[in-house]
Amino acid sequence: MVYLKRIILPVLFILILISSGCDKGIEPRSTDDIPGFGGRITFIGTWPDSVQRTHIVVFDSLLEDANDFNIFNLKFISDALPYGVPGYDFDSRDSAIIQIEPGSFSYVAVVQQKTVDLSLLRKDWTVIGIYYAYGDTTHPGKLDIPDKYFVKNINIRCDFNNPPPQPPGG
Amino acid sequence: MKIIFLNIFVLIFTAHLTAQTYSISGKITDTENKPLIGVNIILTGTGYGTSSDQNGDYEIIELTNGNYNLKFSAVGYDNVFRNITIKDKSILMNVTMTEKAVETQQVIVTAGKREQYITDLPVSADVIPSGEFSKKNFSNLENALRYVPGVNMTEDQISIRGSSGYSRGAGSRVLLALDGIPFYTGDTGETIWEMIPTPVIQRVEIIKGAASSLYGSTAIGGVINVITNDIPEKPATFFNSFIGMYDKPAHSEWRWSDENRYYNGLTLAHAQKFGGFGIEASLTRLEDMSYKQNGFSHKYIGFLKGKFEINPASTITILANTLNKKGGNFYYWKDSRHALIPADDQQGQTIKTSRYLFGAVYKNVINQDLLLNVKTSYYRTDWNDTSPAMDKSLTNLYRGEVQVNKSFSDEVVIVTGIEGLSSNVKSNLFGNPDMISGGIYVQGDISYFSPLTISAGIRYDYSRLDSLKGENALSPKIGLNYKLTDDLILRSSAGTGFRAPSLAEAFTSTTASGIIIKPNPDLKSETNFTFEIGAGYLPSDYFNLDAALFQSEYYDFIEPRIDPADGLAVFSNVTRARIQGVETDIKSDLFKKSLSLSLSYTYLWTRDLNKQKALKYRPRHIFAGSIDYYLWNFDLGTDFRYWSRIEEIDDELVRIINDGDLRAEVYVLDLRASYNFSSLGIPASLFLNADNVLNYNYVELIGNLKPVRNYSLSLQFNF
Repeated sequence: MVYLKRIILPVLFILILISSGCDKGIEPRSTDDIPGFGGRITFIGTWPDSVQRTHIVVFDSLLEDANDFNIFNLKFISDALPYGVPGYDFDSRDSAIIQIEPGSFSYVAVVQQKTVDLSLLRKDWTVIGIYYAYGDTTHPGKLDIPDKYFVKNINIRCDFNNPPPQPPGG
Repeated sequence: MKIIFLNIFVLIFTAHLTAQTYSISGKITDTENKPLIGVNIILTGTGYGTSSDQNGDYEIIELTNGNYNLKFSAVGYDNVFRNITIKDKSILMNVTMTEKAVETQQVIVTAGKREQYITDLPVSADVIPSGEFSKKNFSNLENALRYVPGVNMTEDQISIRGSSGYSRGAGSRVLLALDGIPFYTGDTGETIWEMIPTPVIQRVEIIKGAASSLYGSTAIGGVINVITNDIPEKPATFFNSFIGMYDKPAHSEWRWSDENRYYNGLTLAHAQKFGGFGIEASLTRLEDMSYKQNGFSHKYIGFLKGKFEINPASTITILANTLNKKGGNFYYWKDSRHALIPADDQQGQTIKTSRYLFGAVYKNVINQDLLLNVKTSYYRTDWNDTSPAMDKSLTNLYRGEVQVNKSFSDEVVIVTGIEGLSSNVKSNLFGNPDMISGGIYVQGDISYFSPLTISAGIRYDYSRLDSLKGENALSPKIGLNYKLTDDLILRSSAGTGFRAPSLAEAFTSTTASGIIIKPNPDLKSETNFTFEIGAGYLPSDYFNLDAALFQSEYYDFIEPRIDPADGLAVFSNVTRARIQGVETDIKSDLFKKSLSLSLSYTYLWTRDLNKQKALKYRPRHIFAGSIDYYLWNFDLGTDFRYWSRIEEIDDELVRIINDGDLRAEVYVLDLRASYNFSSLGIPASLFLNADNVLNYNYVELIGNLKPVRNYSLSLQFNF
């Protein structure tokens, strides 16, 4: 019993202190805290048969020459959008291949690929829609995502009969 | 060739049949007259011996007339030496061994590929005794390693003193061996901890720091050698059964199933000797419903060990170890609100694995000063999964080693050997590459200048991966052990290590969750230089303090990265790194061994010198503590471990895995109780375990929550 008093009880006391002193570790992150963006993608015209997948992508800086198309400039790739739909409401907080983080982004687009597997090579990408802010179609619109903030109304129009200018390097 | 085999056969068996032989036998007990199990009995100078069985009985047979020096050694007991003369009759000799409070004279066979006391080593070493697995209900060796000083695990990848980060299933910087036979896969070079059934483990030896001077590639961060049970003189049967249940997750969002989630296991093992031939067979079945969706597993683990004593001086030991497994794929969570549900693309995916290791060891004590050891092994792995890529791999790995130990005097011992391996792979992931490598080594331990022991060794290796250019590596090492006083032992070592890339690192070509991995034909070996200085302080039988300072310089570290040219992932020699640290370990037995305490702390400072950031997946602080209280036949115990929050993780993965940046420090508290029924005449023990009783939520790898609180009940019989 002497051992119990001298050793076990103090040890148990320390363990209780430890257990009460620490939190529960990782917790589910509130959806309110997740930065992101969303909007409506509209498709006009007939979907080409050869399209294997369609994604929304976001680049940090504009694609002004072939070297701008690289993995470090690429900041977001959505999961594949369903084939053949006339329109799609998306939310970047849904599962994505590359997650978006807070920041300021210069180029948001909808792209399509004909390859079997997802390719990160420029030649395999066709841009079918670009995000333009405030109706100004002369420059790609800028996307600003503050920390813990969800940006709505990032709407993109994709016209298969009138595709937008393609970035260099294709 | 037939004639040669016939001659060998005749030589072996005529020697076996014609000599007039005797035996030494008896019972080994402690001071309270209780039988001692697993005591090593060695005829010193020959390396020949046996171990005591479940009743404490031992027998060494087929001895001819002559003088013999016997050494009786056991963990926790003082060694006993006896000089015996056999003259035309067998000897019966009972021995009483005295308990030692602290395991100061643990024998290690891994550090120098020969038997040495742990206090004589120039390097840091640790031992996990077999009892740890039973009392903590560890059915996987991996779990026990998390409590070893200086060790941290990232899922199934081990890091000794910060040697490794995480690269899923590709390469290891710590060599695992089973009874001295290297044990890593031929394709990925990874370690399959779950393949070794824990009931057959007698002890696990852990050598810290580069050991390439004896073991070659992969041992760049250290060596873990699993020593399996000796086959006892009398038949022994072991039975273990356990059932466990996971508690509910800490957050209601994570409760994905209304069912209770169970896990269970069953092991049956038997060992018996038939004259000069002994055999141990074990079969284990493990089932786990898992606390994670699609995390289930069903495993069958087989183990067979046969030992044939050709004559008193030579033995052949054969080993077979198999694993058949079917399990679900859970690479990472869907997101932190669905932390126990895998990402959509992994739902329903399964993987089937069959692995087979066969080994043979021939040991011949040619004379008192010369020992020959020949080891061969064949390791076959065959796995396939049901992912869209339908990945599969079939690998054959062949290995052979010849080792000679020569004692020139009591003060000079030389260990030398030659080793070679060949591997071929058929896989959609890696292509169909093959690999060859070979090495030659020599190490000398010189104790002329007592109390100083000098150990020096060097190894040359050549390795070639399929079409890649062959590479050479020279790995020297020097170590010192100096017994300043009877209580204070100083040690120091410096050496280089190297690791050839695995076939997986060089040739992987696949797509996984949006990442395309491409092969790298320019990949070359990584190397390191390690240095340590340490001290062991043993002022009494009840207290043992060990401390070490260490530093490692790594060159051409192999890590996965994104190639900016094409955005594809590739394994490359990207990093120059430095690791420095301190490791301390205290063990103490109090109140006539009724209370045992063990505490260890490791400080790790790791640096990627190119990026000036910490290395990935290395905690800066590692603490582990253990308390056992023995009362009558009860053992009450608790284990606690703390790892500080990992500073750096894979940024590329964080972009892919939802909430992948979430991580926390680790606080894990386990409680256990056991009761031994032997005093009632029943050879059984009952174990009750509660793991992660704080139900603390943490990850070792991005998006992989570790087990929630769980409870298990285990019953064990030793007949």
